[in-house]
Amino acid sequence: MNDILEFSFMVETFFEMLKFIPITLFLTLTSMLLASIIGLVSAVILLRNVRILKQIVTAYLLLGRAIPTMVMLYLLYFGLPILLMAFTDKTGIATGYQHVPPMVFAILGLTLHTGAYLTEIFRAALLSVDKGQMEAALSIGMTWFQGLYRIVFRQAAVFAMPLFANEFLGLIKSTSIVFTITVVELLGGAKIACAENYRYLETYLVVALMYWGISIVFEKFFLITERKLGFFKKGVNL
Amino acid sequence: MIEFKNIHKAFGSNEVLKGINCKIPTGSVTVIIGPSGSGKTTLLRAVNFLEKADRGEIILDDIHINVEKASKADIHKIRQRTAMVFQMYNLFKNKTALENIMEGLLVVKKIPKPKAQETALYFLEKVGLGDKANAYPSELSGGQQQRIGIARALALNPDVILFDEPTSSLDQELIGEVLEVMKKVAQEVNCTLVVVTHEISFAREVADNIIFMDNGVIVEEGPPEEILNNPKEERTKQFLSRYISLTEYNI
Repeated sequence: MNDILEFSFMVETFFEMLKFIPITLFLTLTSMLLASIIGLVSAVILLRNVRILKQIVTAYLLLGRAIPTMVMLYLLYFGLPILLMAFTDKTGIATGYQHVPPMVFAILGLTLHTGAYLTEIFRAALLSVDKGQMEAALSIGMTWFQGLYRIVFRQAAVFAMPLFANEFLGLIKSTSIVFTITVVELLGGAKIACAENYRYLETYLVVALMYWGISIVFEKFFLITERKLGFFKKGVNL
Repeated sequence: MIEFKNIHKAFGSNEVLKGINCKIPTGSVTVIIGPSGSGKTTLLRAVNFLEKADRGEIILDDIHINVEKASKADIHKIRQRTAMVFQMYNLFKNKTALENIMEGLLVVKKIPKPKAQETALYFLEKVGLGDKANAYPSELSGGQQQRIGIARALALNPDVILFDEPTSSLDQELIGEVLEVMKKVAQEVNCTLVVVTHEISFAREVADNIIFMDNGVIVEEGPPEEILNNPKEERTKQFLSRYISLTEYNI
């Protein structure tokens, strides 16, 4: 056990760490899905200029992009219960936050953070579609939402895809900070393993390789999706 | 019948329409001519509320809309009864030629798919592009795209088709093929056609009625031979002299 890098140990750790990958993936996929819904709704609110809601979205964007993800997680996990406790004291209504698993706070924090970025990505993508497309949709008697869903949205998706992929890859890595609020995912699992075996280099190398592997798989997936979505374009690829 | 009553529209401090009053009879071909910036396109776009006029009334047969109080339902109703052909074609880029024509039939008219496809193909043949059914707009020339734009409008069987400078972004050769299709449409179809164009010879041949606009007002209107051969207003003469001398120069 005196080598700087013990490969047999790395292999062992690799198999041990595999069980944390589903947790990391679950965090990423759930947060991304929820954030996409928030982002899409927010982007449409901004574009449609919906009263009151627009102010709310603007404030959300301001906060969501300004607060570090970790601070957001701390606020939710350590701060929110204090508010809820005070609420229970005042009104006598039990909120039951003690029974909410930390995973929920983790997903909430990551979702709020990612949603703000996705809002801007979707807004930019929708704006990138030529105005004439919506005009044509309206001119044949479609409603605004039909035009958005059937025409504009599908063209905007091609534009949004690379940025969306970026955000997704970023999110995979952001999940590594949720161990600070006691959710044991890939990095959290590695930290615990290190505390037992003291083989930091091997363990973290294995974890790094795993993040790398996950990222590559999704990178390829998004690249293929992007090409599929752009089926109607022809000519030189830039 | 389309009727405009005292239509006003300003973009900021720039008053584009300064009180337009006119009637366009059902089934007629009306051509609106005039210099750039005279408000022709804005007037046309005011009909289907792609540009919402500031005040005035727009009447399409039984639909009376006071522009200031226009509800979403009013606007939707008038859009379902009209169709538009755009200067930049505006075909749906993510749909094939056939799907472009089917889109309105499926979504707006709620026609079942096989019937919609049949109708779409019929109109695609009509504009001479039956063999391009599965081509995407990016694979078609400007003239072909515009002909599909016309087919898309025709297929909806609207009361009115609005043509917004349909040939302005095409070269001379392609203008010919689009104008041919438009002439055919004018002869065969009995919906009202309103055409904003700079093609004076097209207006002479096809129009029942010509409206000459300048600086946000209608200067003169009447049948083509009257407006084009014997304009009464000085401004009309001045505008037409340019075109006619240009044509002679070309010859």
